[in-house]
Amino acid sequence: MFKRRKIEDIESLEGVVTFFGSHHALRSEEVLKKYNVRAVLIPGPREISPNCGVALRFDYSKKDEVKKILDEFFVHYEDIHYYPVN
Amino acid sequence: MVFKYRTYWGSEGIKLVKVYYFDNAATSWPKPRSVIKAMQEYFFYGGGNPGRSGHIKAIEAGKTVLNTRQLLASLFNIKDPSRIVFTKNATEALNIALFGSLSKGDHVVTTSMEHNSVMRPLRHLEDRGVKISVAKMDSKGWVPLSAIEREVNESTKLIAVTHASNVTGTINDIKEIGSFCKRRNIRLLVDAAQTVGVVPIDVERINVDLLAFSGHKGLLGPQGTGGLFIRNGNFLNPLMRGGTGSLSDREEQPDFMPDQYESGTLNVIGIAGLGEGVRWVIEMGVDRIMEHDSRLLEIFLDELSGNERFRLYGIGKAFEQTGVVSLNIQGLSPSKVGEILDRRYGILTRIGLHCSPHAHKTIGTFPDGTVRFSWGVFTKQKDIVTVTRALKKIAQEKLI
Repeated sequence: MFKRRKIEDIESLEGVVTFFGSHHALRSEEVLKKYNVRAVLIPGPREISPNCGVALRFDYSKKDEVKKILDEFFVHYEDIHYYPVN
Repeated sequence: MVFKYRTYWGSEGIKLVKVYYFDNAATSWPKPRSVIKAMQEYFFYGGGNPGRSGHIKAIEAGKTVLNTRQLLASLFNIKDPSRIVFTKNATEALNIALFGSLSKGDHVVTTSMEHNSVMRPLRHLEDRGVKISVAKMDSKGWVPLSAIEREVNESTKLIAVTHASNVTGTINDIKEIGSFCKRRNIRLLVDAAQTVGVVPIDVERINVDLLAFSGHKGLLGPQGTGGLFIRNGNFLNPLMRGGTGSLSDREEQPDFMPDQYESGTLNVIGIAGLGEGVRWVIEMGVDRIMEHDSRLLEIFLDELSGNERFRLYGIGKAFEQTGVVSLNIQGLSPSKVGEILDRRYGILTRIGLHCSPHAHKTIGTFPDGTVRFSWGVFTKQKDIVTVTRALKKIAQEKLI
């Protein structure tokens, strides 16, 4: 449960999914991992969403795949943004 | 604190008596080690507030909650885990369901088997203009569909029924009631406090709209945990409103699951324990647990059969009854029997009315009640024999 985290390279992950509630944010990471889609939870950037405190970074080129997976697992998200790290 | 032994001060002096816990219908004991370990770990290493921030501790806490929600979803075969709301117990879940779905002029059908956790909110709602009909169960504690059908009318919004009685252990045919509700387009609320983790429940097979359950009974979690499954829609008015960590820019309650019904900080340490309890139950298999309870029931009934000093209540058939037996010894009050069992034999039971006065009126044991024995997954065959032996001894002694 409390394993040491790997430091993830998030520079290449340019897409951000924002959520209304944290349940959905955390579940999105889990279901994407099941499908081997790289995803990292980050503190939600205030500029793009005032809602949930947690957002998800992912590879923007896989936008359609991510959308499909999230819908399949009843994960409700607010929006998908293009939001590079720098 | 009483753990394995209690002292007994009898005519032979003080001695230590082993404790036999036969009150699992009230709360299960002992709990699996993994439950205690998960809670300890959470206390030592966890500790953030789920959903309130994006830092690592908040995320770990959120994951703990998510993990338990997913485990519960797989136990009940629920596709979308967000449809499960955590509450502090089954009573809170039932209150959310009843207060949220009923308003003035609505009609609700319930049964005479219900616990006060359903009856008291309903009696309060009756004062507010909700009409209530009570379907009668038979003396075995079983509610036939025909009894419910008789009470239903055009304005019936909800049928609230217990999955199994906490007095007699009799299991209701929820599947049959569920398909009736579907045909008549009435919502079904099931109180599964007594059956969760000991009787298989598959929400895809039974047409249940609202399922209230406790976490500290058959699911082997700590006290202070429970939940409500809401099948679909947004028809329930939240009972409480407050901070959820989401939509913080607004002063209105969010309208999405599960945040809508989970205001305020959750009991995350309890939920961490509950998750391990659910995992334990899944790994063991609910079918196997039910088989275990039923086998013990058969032994219990077998040991006491043929002795006319005992009056047993309930259906008295394995697989149609949970691991609960209610009985009385002729000529002895339940409180006296309970006291002797506790003090002399270290057998811990629940005596009296079990918060279900209506059920006791139906089986004819009001106002004295019964002595209720309820075992669990950790109860052994020899414990049952010890208990029945003690009972027979009490019955014999007092006859002379």
